[in-house]
Amino acid sequence: MTSAPPAVVTGVRRRFGAGPPALDGVDLELRAGEVHAVLGENGAGKTTLMRILAGLDEPDEGSVVVAGEPVTEFTPRALRERGVAMVQQHFTLVPTLTAGENLALARPEGRLRPGARRVRRRVEALAQRYGLPVRADVPVDRLSVGEQQRLEILRALDADARLLILDEPTAVLVDAEAEALLAVCRALAAEGRAVVIITHRLAEVFAGCDRVTVLRRGAVVCAGEPVSAHDRTSLATLMVGAVPAPPLSIERPARSGVIRIALDGAARGRLRPLDLEVHAGEVLGVAGVDGNGQAELEDLLAGIAAPQQGTVCVEGTEMPVGAPRERVGKRVAYVPADRYRRALAGPLSLADNLELGRGPSRRAPRGRREEQAVPALAAWDVRAAGPGASAASLSGGNAQKLVLARELGVGPAVVVAAQPTRGLDPEAARMITERILAAAADGAAVVWFGAELDELFAVADRLVVLADGIATPFEPPYDRAAVGMAMAGGAGA
Amino acid sequence: MTLTRDPAPAGQQAPDGLVGKALRGPADRSPLGLVAVPLLALLGALVVGGVLMAVEGVAPLSAYGEVVRGVFGRTRGLVDTAVIATPLVLLALGITVAYRARVFTIGAEGQYIAGALAGTAWATVGPLPGLPAPVLVVSSLAVAVLAGAAWSGVTAWLQSRFGASVVITSLLLNYVAAAVLAWAVRVGMRDPGSFTPQSRQVGDAALPDLPGTAIHLGFLFALLAVPTVAAVLRRTRFGFRVEVLGANPDVLAATEARPSRTRLWVLAVAGALAGLAGFVEVAGVTGRMTQAFAVGYGFTAIIVALLGRLRPLGVLAAALVMAGITVGFDEAERVFVIPSATVGVIQALIVVFFVTGDALSRRRLRRREGA
Amino acid sequence: MDTLFTLATLAAAVRLAIPVAVAALGEVVTERSGVLNLGLEGTMLFGALAGYLATLATGSPWIGLGAGLGAGAGCGALLALLMVVVRADQIVTGLAFTLFAGSATTYLFELSYTIGQPPPRIESLSMVPLVVIVLVVLVAVWFLLTRTSAGLVLSAAGEAPAAADALGYRVARVRAAATVAGSALAGLAGAMLVCGPLGLFVQNVTAGRGWVALALVVFARWRPGRAVAGALLFGLCDAAQLRLQGTATQIPYEVFLALPYVVTLLALMVRARRSGTPAALAVPFVRGPAR
Repeated sequence: MTSAPPAVVTGVRRRFGAGPPALDGVDLELRAGEVHAVLGENGAGKTTLMRILAGLDEPDEGSVVVAGEPVTEFTPRALRERGVAMVQQHFTLVPTLTAGENLALARPEGRLRPGARRVRRRVEALAQRYGLPVRADVPVDRLSVGEQQRLEILRALDADARLLILDEPTAVLVDAEAEALLAVCRALAAEGRAVVIITHRLAEVFAGCDRVTVLRRGAVVCAGEPVSAHDRTSLATLMVGAVPAPPLSIERPARSGVIRIALDGAARGRLRPLDLEVHAGEVLGVAGVDGNGQAELEDLLAGIAAPQQGTVCVEGTEMPVGAPRERVGKRVAYVPADRYRRALAGPLSLADNLELGRGPSRRAPRGRREEQAVPALAAWDVRAAGPGASAASLSGGNAQKLVLARELGVGPAVVVAAQPTRGLDPEAARMITERILAAAADGAAVVWFGAELDELFAVADRLVVLADGIATPFEPPYDRAAVGMAMAGGAGA
Repeated sequence: MTLTRDPAPAGQQAPDGLVGKALRGPADRSPLGLVAVPLLALLGALVVGGVLMAVEGVAPLSAYGEVVRGVFGRTRGLVDTAVIATPLVLLALGITVAYRARVFTIGAEGQYIAGALAGTAWATVGPLPGLPAPVLVVSSLAVAVLAGAAWSGVTAWLQSRFGASVVITSLLLNYVAAAVLAWAVRVGMRDPGSFTPQSRQVGDAALPDLPGTAIHLGFLFALLAVPTVAAVLRRTRFGFRVEVLGANPDVLAATEARPSRTRLWVLAVAGALAGLAGFVEVAGVTGRMTQAFAVGYGFTAIIVALLGRLRPLGVLAAALVMAGITVGFDEAERVFVIPSATVGVIQALIVVFFVTGDALSRRRLRRREGA
Repeated sequence: MDTLFTLATLAAAVRLAIPVAVAALGEVVTERSGVLNLGLEGTMLFGALAGYLATLATGSPWIGLGAGLGAGAGCGALLALLMVVVRADQIVTGLAFTLFAGSATTYLFELSYTIGQPPPRIESLSMVPLVVIVLVVLVAVWFLLTRTSAGLVLSAAGEAPAAADALGYRVARVRAAATVAGSALAGLAGAMLVCGPLGLFVQNVTAGRGWVALALVVFARWRPGRAVAGALLFGLCDAAQLRLQGTATQIPYEVFLALPYVVTLLALMVRARRSGTPAALAVPFVRGPAR
């Protein structure tokens, strides 16, 4: 082989905000003619790494060499011209245009649009060549998700991508489609292209990948080793780590018998019917990779969406849906995964944010409200210019403390906490963890959604792993490899 | 996994525009920046107006002197200013509530007409003739308020039910209201004794003048509405929800109330104030409805609300300045040969300069923050 | 009803429809790119004044039409600067501009003749060339949107600006161009109003036709052919309304006044997605940070 490898990444670092680095000195070499799996938990940095390769993001440090030449301009266009294309989880097709028009938009054939027949032929020729069938003249928003994905891939191939990156490509597909897609990937690699599949499913890695790179907390823990050198257990262990974290210093009484939350065959979206009981004083951990039903479970527990079947009860009565103040009245604390999307009104003051969902219908003058906010802010060590500062001005850790100050303030009966420490500095993360556990010690039932197993192992009395909407329970002592395997597509698969 | 179940239509979610940020964001926190841009816009427009007059051969300073004298130098000037400002204040307060919630209605004109029509109809051809004057006044005002709120509520319903943009539906309803007005004064509630199409006089429903002045009672309503709206925004749960809706509808849904419900109330309040403004204008100034009743106050009020920075007190100031410029120039035109459109140009320039200046200051701010 | 739909009424309908049709076609182009131009009415007014003054000066209404087109493009450049480049709020900017145009055109117009004399009439074009212009504009806009690559980019900027950006297109540039082009047509529409059978300029000569055009774009679901059809419907209603005003009938003419708007409101009562509203209409595009 005389040609340079399609991409070489050396020492790439990337950090967002004040949290831990998303990528902490990553090396990666991709070869022509291979299907390369990039494996890791949520937040391991796999998508960030690939976005950099595709020009959708820029590294803080380190070098990226594509086809022998160092990349200086990190834009999608520049990298597409050099043969790198990425199919993101959120498709970037124009929904009102047809498949043919989307292709024509990406690579126009002159100033005039070709006629309908020619467009159809172009789509069909591509579809046939790569074995990716797509209807040519239907608006994209009427295509199935699988078809849209195939179109995204065709668009990349139409631009003659030498390096094709697929981000969790099978997450949206049914099994047969997923198998067909992997076969296509193999065929593309056989043509001399490099294909990268970002995934968390072990089955996929073994179904068609040549080499595998495992990322964990922004670092490479397995650098492009042949898949044949591994088995499920070894990869699962690499993915979730082998070293247990130091134990937390919270002594909690044994759980009482009171059932605070009860799900009876509750199902919604991807979440299959689930029976679940959480007792007072208990911390239930929910593990799983995004898109396997946790978001739906979070919505059910927080009263944001109603179950499509079954019931969700809090202390014996049905969870009010779409009536957040009633939820607050039932002392259900909700710490959402996306703070600025659901919990904090960025432009409003800290005092105002403390008042969301509670407080009288006649409000006190601003001065007094801000005065009243001071003790809560101090108790939670929210560092800000003052109670009148905007929530948007807070750092991640302080913003999360503000959410908890509000939600845990009244002595909650139930705490629904979705990734409460995500992206926080260790000090804030530790404080928040301790306070939530203290709430459990005071008798709250806690449901803790987590992406990192170490954290869940440390806090949870019990664990439920969600994969494809199905829950698998685990009791301590936790078998790390078994949990990891359940997350990566079911223990039995 | 979206929280808001009502579809977010186009024109509702401009994330970065003037209206959205006119009320908050870091720029807002400094009182200087808050007032400086509108004042500079005013100054700039007056300078350009002066240049225009100088080109016309009129000494700008003496002309402006006459403008000031026209307002402050005689009782009539102050009276006219107050009377013209009255509907602008009420309309702009309603728009203030809506825009703070980032509900961008431009239907104040239609709601103003709807309120005026309903109130006049109640007072002139209503089902209860012969009511004592105070009862008639109060009931007519109530009818006007309800009509304005209902007219505005239609847009809320169209959005929550069909996802239709409030911007567009509220605009369309203005024309429907204008057509209804045309029909009402020609046929529906026409004064049979009149040759030209117009309604009967509202008679006993007319608003009395404030004691010792020639200013009708409506001005007092407007003055009272300013602290009332301010108090509602700052001191009530509804006001809080307005702010939260404006900041982030998903947060409202997760912590306080359904956004579609809050949006309905916001539009109803805006419509109610517009309806009130409409009937106050009939009962205080025109005395009856004619084809020429709608003069575009509903649009001018949007400008007033923005110049007032979506703050009740600011709205009052902006309305008085706009009205004062109109009145003062009326007077100055008697003394100097100034094209009658000059005042319109100056007022429009205030707006154009304000929009530009505000956008530019925000842009600089964004840059400085490195966002 | 047989007195209603005479040839004269139909001719009037076409005459009334012409400027609205051209302005609506322009706005279709602008809105397809994701810009809501509420300054349409003001742009038409400037176009009308430019058309009038140019015709007055040169004696050629054709030059008048050209002046209207140019004035519209100028307005469009200013609006694009504010709405796309500076990213001022589109609704406020448009409203402010229309307000400004109302006063500014009156002011300029009053400067153009001596007070006391009636403003002079100008040479005017007959209906035939005007109809031809409408058809040419219709075909041009239709061709642009459905047959050119530029049309695809335009739609992408209005529907999925982030996708267009990811493909390397400059969304701001596309939107600015669409605003200038749409405004140029609005200016032309204004000039066609005064250089047509009317033959003179009066204060606020457009009388809300720009707003009508805006409503028609919604009614037409952002399709050029339907925009012209809608303009004809509007013209028909307007002509019927004018005609009925002179006669005593059972149908109040105001029904026809309201009809175009009511029909448009009804057309909006379908699910938003199917109404064809560009997904990013009036939403400024800011390249987002990595998520």
